[in-house]
Amino acid sequence: MDTPYEQYIMPVVTFAVIILVTWIVSYLFNLVFVGWYRIGMSLVRLHVQRIATIVIWSVGLILAVEQLGLRIDLLLLLIGILGVGTIIAATDVLRNLAAKYFSDVYIPFKTGDTIRISGHSGKVIEINPVSTVLLTENEELVSIPNSLFIKEPTVNITPQAWKEITIPIAVGGQVDLPAFESRLIKSINKFKLHLDERFPPILTVKRREKNFYELVLTLMIKEPSKKDEITSEINRKIAELTEQMKRKEKKKTA
Amino acid sequence: MPIHLCVNTQTPLVRFSPGYKPGDGSTGPPSLSDLVEERDYQFTPGGVTRMVFPLLKRMVDDGVLKCPYWVTLNPAGPERLVADGITFSHIRLQDRVMKGYGHIKEDMWKTLHGIGKGAMPHGWPLWEKEYADYTYYNRLSSERLLALDKELDFDVFYIHDFQQLPVGHMLGSLKPKVFRWHIPFDDTIIPPDWKPFLLTYFKSYDLILVSCRKYLDALRKFGFMGHVHYIYPYIDQGVYRRSKRSELEAFCAKFGIREQDRVILVVARMDPMKGQDLAIRAFAKVARSVPDLKLVLAGNGSFSSSSHGIGLSKGAHWLGKLQRLARRLHLEDRVVFTGHINHLELQAAYERCEMTMLPSWLEGFGLVVIESWLYKKPAVVSSKAGVADIIVDGENGQLADPGDIDGFARRISALLKDEKLESRLAESGLASSRKCVLEEGLKQESEMLQDILSGQKRKGDGHAI
Repeated sequence: MDTPYEQYIMPVVTFAVIILVTWIVSYLFNLVFVGWYRIGMSLVRLHVQRIATIVIWSVGLILAVEQLGLRIDLLLLLIGILGVGTIIAATDVLRNLAAKYFSDVYIPFKTGDTIRISGHSGKVIEINPVSTVLLTENEELVSIPNSLFIKEPTVNITPQAWKEITIPIAVGGQVDLPAFESRLIKSINKFKLHLDERFPPILTVKRREKNFYELVLTLMIKEPSKKDEITSEINRKIAELTEQMKRKEKKKTA
Repeated sequence: MPIHLCVNTQTPLVRFSPGYKPGDGSTGPPSLSDLVEERDYQFTPGGVTRMVFPLLKRMVDDGVLKCPYWVTLNPAGPERLVADGITFSHIRLQDRVMKGYGHIKEDMWKTLHGIGKGAMPHGWPLWEKEYADYTYYNRLSSERLLALDKELDFDVFYIHDFQQLPVGHMLGSLKPKVFRWHIPFDDTIIPPDWKPFLLTYFKSYDLILVSCRKYLDALRKFGFMGHVHYIYPYIDQGVYRRSKRSELEAFCAKFGIREQDRVILVVARMDPMKGQDLAIRAFAKVARSVPDLKLVLAGNGSFSSSSHGIGLSKGAHWLGKLQRLARRLHLEDRVVFTGHINHLELQAAYERCEMTMLPSWLEGFGLVVIESWLYKKPAVVSSKAGVADIIVDGENGQLADPGDIDGFARRISALLKDEKLESRLAESGLASSRKCVLEEGLKQESEMLQDILSGQKRKGDGHAI
């Protein structure tokens, strides 16, 4: 015969401990993830972070509920039905979200470019997870569902668009930005053979936070076929440079 | 509501003497009024001292501005300096970076002035290794502006001169940004390959100001579709007064000018672009028939070519060349090189001369012509100077094409021979000078700032005076 402690108090305490542990795991994950995954599209990062958090909490909740002696198969069924329902209800949204992910990677336009798709043309003023907003010459806003970009041919009519490479960079807030930029430009100078000399490398600060800067490096290449090679080479240089600068800063602080 | 303005220039108001030792700043920034001119510092020649500073001073006095800040390069200066209600924040660079920055800046300057057109003798500055130093200085400036903005919350940024062009983009701030292009803008001499570079950075400003109508037209032809206006440069005529007899005598004694001498004056920094060699050659043609004629070349190197500044040596080289030229033409006792002269000496120089010359190959504007007019001295001016916009040949001045030695010589001779012409040009020159005095500049600049802050955009191009 279980004592009231074993029957009621113990499961509740275990439930609370699992919830607490889940919270800690989720918190630590977010902390590590933000610190580790600074380079890349902030939107993709946000989605990965959110999905991972939901998974952590779902596992935590299932384990916790099991401690209370409730039937978790029912809970799993409920979660499954909710998931399937959500997927069916939000098919279009999910399709757009998926398209957004692929368009980030494979469709060559960005905010500020002028594009033409499906009889619409205009300047891209916003790319959100569901749609891409164009400002037409008549000052009308046209919202294009992202899913259209993987179905229909898109024409980027921005002059020189094929030449442009934009490389996102994240550096710690303690980095000496003028020195970083100066060293970056010196590194890029070594690739000048492959770059359009009429365009200087331009570093733009997209976001300034206390702990980090989000920067974008814009370059113009001569040969579109070399785009991936150049991007990867410059990314490698940037990684080396940020590492060197980080070490230097650490040494200075020490 | 007074405007909280932050100015950014490369050239500082003053350059400090090698002997000046800045304090540790523990008692606050030093005030310029506590320092001694000539001993501790010299005013930097050029538009910064004669135009930007008087404008800000007057705007503070008139309540248009409150506590303006001015970020500028000043390698030997204290970190901060206060002068007439304006706080200067000085940027220092290591010698190595300064050298690299100076090299690129000079190459850009040459290209924008058409020196070596077509040949690209100086390479493509954007891809020289020193371009990193140029970028470093500009980023340092923009970071300083942003740090001050965080502390002081400015209303508008006002960036001056071509070498600071990337600052607007680097700032990234949504606050209004105005850029003043002081040097000439001639779309026919700027290599087409420079277009992307210049236009990219021009676009980062809410307004571009140039010095005259022809530069505005050239900027349009070049492909800039943003907001652009012109405001003629201006000087504070209040600081130009008649010299005392003793000052005049001291000036003449110092530079060996005799009572009977007839003086032609050229006021310009020592730089090949200023065309002092043309002045000497034109003078040589006239001097044969006018035995007491003297040519006075006043000025030394700019901030860039000064050893207290960026340290480029072109000023000293050019002076040497001019001295050799004068010797070769047997004019060494008739061409006077004054070097740097202070304000009292400058006034005496204008007072003592009979006419002035501005023989520049290309000149952003040419405020020395306005100074000359204030002293009722006629000016023979290069048609390639911005000030030529307000000169009608033979009415308020004499225009000659740069390099046309005979043309300059003929106009000088005409003035020397014809007193009536001299006095007519002097009178109408004085009347024209009103277009380029501080009051006019103050009015135009205040309106421009108010417009930009209220989000209004002037209709059409330009700013007719």
